[in-house]
Amino acid sequence: MPWRVRSGSPAETVLFGCRLGRLLACGDVVFLHGPLGAGKTRLVEGIARGLGAAGVRSPSFTLLHSYRGRLPVYHADLYRLTDPDEAAALNLSEVTADGVLLVEWPELVEVEFPARLSVCLSFMAGDEDARLLTLVPRGERYEAITRAMEERFAGPRI
Amino acid sequence: MLALGIESSCDETAVALVEERRVLVNLIASQFEAHRPFGGVVPELAARMHLEALRPLLTAAFAEAGVAPAKVDLVCATRGPGLIGALLVGFSAAKAMAWALGKPFVGVNHVVAHIYANFLGENPPVPPLLCLVVSGGHTDLFSLTAEEELRHLGGTRDDAAGECLDKAARLLGLRYPGGPAVEEAARRGEPRFPLPRPVIEGSLEFSFSGLKTALANLIQRLTAEKKELPVPDLAASLQRAVVEGLVAKLEAAAMIYRPRALLLAGGVAANGLLRREVAALATRLGMEFYVPPPALCTDNAAMVAYAGLSRYRRYGADPLTAGVDPALDFPLPPWG
Repeated sequence: MPWRVRSGSPAETVLFGCRLGRLLACGDVVFLHGPLGAGKTRLVEGIARGLGAAGVRSPSFTLLHSYRGRLPVYHADLYRLTDPDEAAALNLSEVTADGVLLVEWPELVEVEFPARLSVCLSFMAGDEDARLLTLVPRGERYEAITRAMEERFAGPRI
Repeated sequence: MLALGIESSCDETAVALVEERRVLVNLIASQFEAHRPFGGVVPELAARMHLEALRPLLTAAFAEAGVAPAKVDLVCATRGPGLIGALLVGFSAAKAMAWALGKPFVGVNHVVAHIYANFLGENPPVPPLLCLVVSGGHTDLFSLTAEEELRHLGGTRDDAAGECLDKAARLLGLRYPGGPAVEEAARRGEPRFPLPRPVIEGSLEFSFSGLKTALANLIQRLTAEKKELPVPDLAASLQRAVVEGLVAKLEAAAMIYRPRALLLAGGVAANGLLRREVAALATRLGMEFYVPPPALCTDNAAMVAYAGLSRYRRYGADPLTAGVDPALDFPLPPWG
């Protein structure tokens, strides 16, 4: 079941990510969807923080970053890629199997990761700082994470 | 000394031969298609693609320079940061060559190597220096007290400067590559929209994501008002904010470190406004200004070869047991 929550500011988005990061385990995959400037990298910063990792920077040009946390945190960004073969050539599932994988602009690797948690960030009319976060779980593991977030998160429901 | 450089950290497979400060040959696989069927203009991010490109490139480099591999005195390769599979190809090939030739090997930090592009050619800058490395993937400020002594002063907390320009181009509906497209559009516009400066106050750090979001919000507001998007003015405003942020931190660092010269490096160093503004800053502060030619600003192996040469003189060779480091940080410590 998808679950939605409003983030009132970039700081709240980081906090949300931090809570999500605490629930993640080795092998988990999180996709981040949303237009430019929606706060995907900001959310990754939070998730990484929840996993005990710091130093998150955008991999839009460098494609894949790794950070050291309680688990290895892999941060991929397929923004620059247009060809599924290029994305497949990155070999993400194998290279990142020993940690948590977070993917921005993940459309080209959807087939590679049928089970995953998708987080969609969208702008909200009338409030430039606010974002609507929608969690869409695929697979039992991610249904459980989404339910756990729903139970733990104190933010206002929409 | 004759140094061989191999670069394969991300998109480009590149090979170069450098004799001290003189570039004998500087080849990049993606620019080499007319000669060889390397398979398209794709980012060569697959290790396999680097692997296919590397040997023909090496052969071509030695042929073009007219030297035999045995004449090489030092073999250098990028150790990180980058994609692990891609890095492994160039790094392993370089170590294998060093071992086979019985010559020393040096691993090089890709971002640091960009700085060293400034030392190629005649009349190199004389330390102390400040260098701003700006590209699609990196925005980093360094001070150099000697050619081999560098310190990382600050970087970006999120997006790189080139990435900001590129994403702005996409928001504005401009074509790829975004950096030159924004610059061209900006030439026809006025920077009349106030945008936030992409800097972290009280530090030598940058943050470009807020600027990107501010532009996205501005475009949404203008679109909601059903106005035609003043693309040239928006591009000019964005470019102005990016350059002002970069120059502000360079100036702040210059006041602290009092360098003899200001250096630019990386792909965004090709931006005309940035070059002019940094040159003007250098003049104002009574400092010299250096920027490499365009072919040495983007990813290349000549910078890797020269950075390796410089590192070898300071720290000696690296062991052949050294490995790549996809998350390599600054400064690159010598192996003990």
